[in-house]
This record gives sequence, structure tokens and C-alpha cells, in this order.
Amino acid sequence: MISIPAAFLICTVAVLSIGVFVWREASVRREFSRPSDHSGLDDDAAELLYCPPEFVARVFSPDDCKFVSSARSRQLNQLFRRERKVVALVWVYQTKLAIRRVMREHTRVTRQSQDLHFATEAQLVLSYMQLILVCNLLCLAIQSAGPARLGTLANYADSLSQRIAQARHGLAVATSSAELRGVNPLS
Amino acid sequence: MTSSIKLITVQAAYDDFLNRSLSKISCDLARLIYLASTRDYNTGSYHHDGLASRFNPEVAAKALEIAHRQIFYQLSAYSLEELVEQLKTYFDSSHESAEEILRTWQKLEPYRIAIPVEVNPAVARLFLSNVRLALAIWRSRQDQAQSPPRP
Repeated sequence: MISIPAAFLICTVAVLSIGVFVWREASVRREFSRPSDHSGLDDDAAELLYCPPEFVARVFSPDDCKFVSSARSRQLNQLFRRERKVVALVWVYQTKLAIRRVMREHTRVTRQSQDLHFATEAQLVLSYMQLILVCNLLCLAIQSAGPARLGTLANYADSLSQRIAQARHGLAVATSSAELRGVNPLS
Repeated sequence: MTSSIKLITVQAAYDDFLNRSLSKISCDLARLIYLASTRDYNTGSYHHDGLASRFNPEVAAKALEIAHRQIFYQLSAYSLEELVEQLKTYFDSSHESAEEILRTWQKLEPYRIAIPVEVNPAVARLFLSNVRLALAIWRSRQDQAQSPPRP
């Protein structure tokens, strides 16, 4: 049984954590929409999704961190941690944004389509929810520990987002060509 | 001009530009700055007299745009250590003093305009962040070199 002070403490910590998370999310959103940083929100999903494979490896690798640490400067280390955190959060936010757009576009297309395959649609939605969960986990982990040791999770999120985009593209092509021919593409 | 012929011509213009101009520039950072300087600030379109006269302005502009984006992505993938080396090569090849360039770059951040228009926003953010960090590392090294040794 949890005592009242302990419950109060847990609640306070939870509320504070959510507050910090929301505040960070808002600051990343602001960072992402800064025109001077070439981070326009009006870029289309395909452009947002195309990210060179070296990007995740660079941002989430500990190599640069080791290099900066070797300079033995507290200021440099702080600057590095702050900068990398923001870049990593911008990437996570961008991935979420791009995949939301892909799914929105997919929903729009499926509403008009008459040939829906339940299992495929369910799998797509499941992958989407999984990606959003991984992205939220990444956000929390980046904010609390920095991106240096999150390479595996980031790679997983990256490959999942690519898979969803490819699956959605494949479905769109199959649906449109089947509708042209008047047959079910997934049967 | 059909699209496939145009693609081949753009490739030829790109190769020509790579061999005649880019290969003679000391480092990738200098190449990026040079390519960004061929872009009009107002229209965002690229222009290079020599390349335009050998091919045509439209093909030359496309080749420059591709080269710009390619060099940008290449630089963005560099480690911080490599980027500091790039800065050193760039500063050394300049006629101005390294200290002066460093001060101007940290204050005005002119490298911001070296980013191509159609690139991934997160990569653009990484590039800016890495240059900022590389400059800070360079500054810290300069300060350490200038400070008197501890007894």
C-alpha cells in the first residue's frame, strides 16, 4: 500500500515529467519551424522522409561525443550535448510528422477506395502505432540521457518509417492500377 | 529535348564541372561555399558562365544544383573531427587570417546560406549544429594555444 505522501510525490514527479516533455516538444516544434534553419513544416512527406542512411548513424553515435570529451572543456561538452539533443529531437519530430502525413494521405485514399483488405490495413495501422510509440520513447530517452547510446532504437524507428512509407506507396499503386482494371488488388 | 537526353546532358555537365572546377578546390567545405556562391540570392537559381556556355544555362543550373546538394550531404555526414580538419584546410587556403574568419563565422554564421534549398530539414539542422560545434572546438584550441602554460 502506498502512503499519501508517496502517492503525492509520485503524482508531482509524473506531472513535472509530463510538463517537461510538453515543454521540450514545444521547443522542438519551434526549432523545427525556424525558417533560418531550413526546417519548413510545409515540406512534403516524401522529402521529409528522405534522410541519408549516415544521418542516424552520425547523430546517435558516441564517436563525436568522445571527440568533444577529449578537448576537456566543460563549455564545449555542454554545447555539444545541447546541440545533439536538439538535432536528435528534430529528427524524431520530423519522422513523426512525415509518417502522420503518409497515414493521413493513406486514410484519404482508402476512404474513396472500394477494395480494402482488412488484414493489410490493420497491419499498417499497427506499424504506425508502433512507430509513434517508439518515437515517443526516443523523445523521452533523448531528453533524459541524450542521443549518444540510442542508435539501435533510432535505427529501428528509421527502418519502420521507411517500411510504412513503402507499404503505403505499394498499396496506393496496387489500388489505383486495380481500380483502373476494375479488380481487387489484394485478392 | 527528351527527358533521357536531358538527363545525359546534365550528367555530362556535372562531370565537366567536377573535373574542371570542383576538383581544383582544396576541400569539401570550400566546394560547398563555392557552389552556394553560384546561386542567386533572390531567385535561388544557379549560374556559371563557363558551364552555361559549354552546355546551356538550364542544364548548367541543374548540374550545379545537383553538385551543391551532393557536396552538402557529403559534408553533413562528416564526423566532428573531420569537419574541424575541413575548417582548418579552408582557413589555411584563405588569404585572410584564420582568427578573423573564425570571429566572423561565429558572429554572422555565413555558412547558413550555404545550405541548398531542397534538403532534408533535420540534415540541414545537423549541418548547422556541426559547423557551430567545429568552430567552437577550433576556438577552444586557439585559446588553449594562446594561454600561457601552467607552472
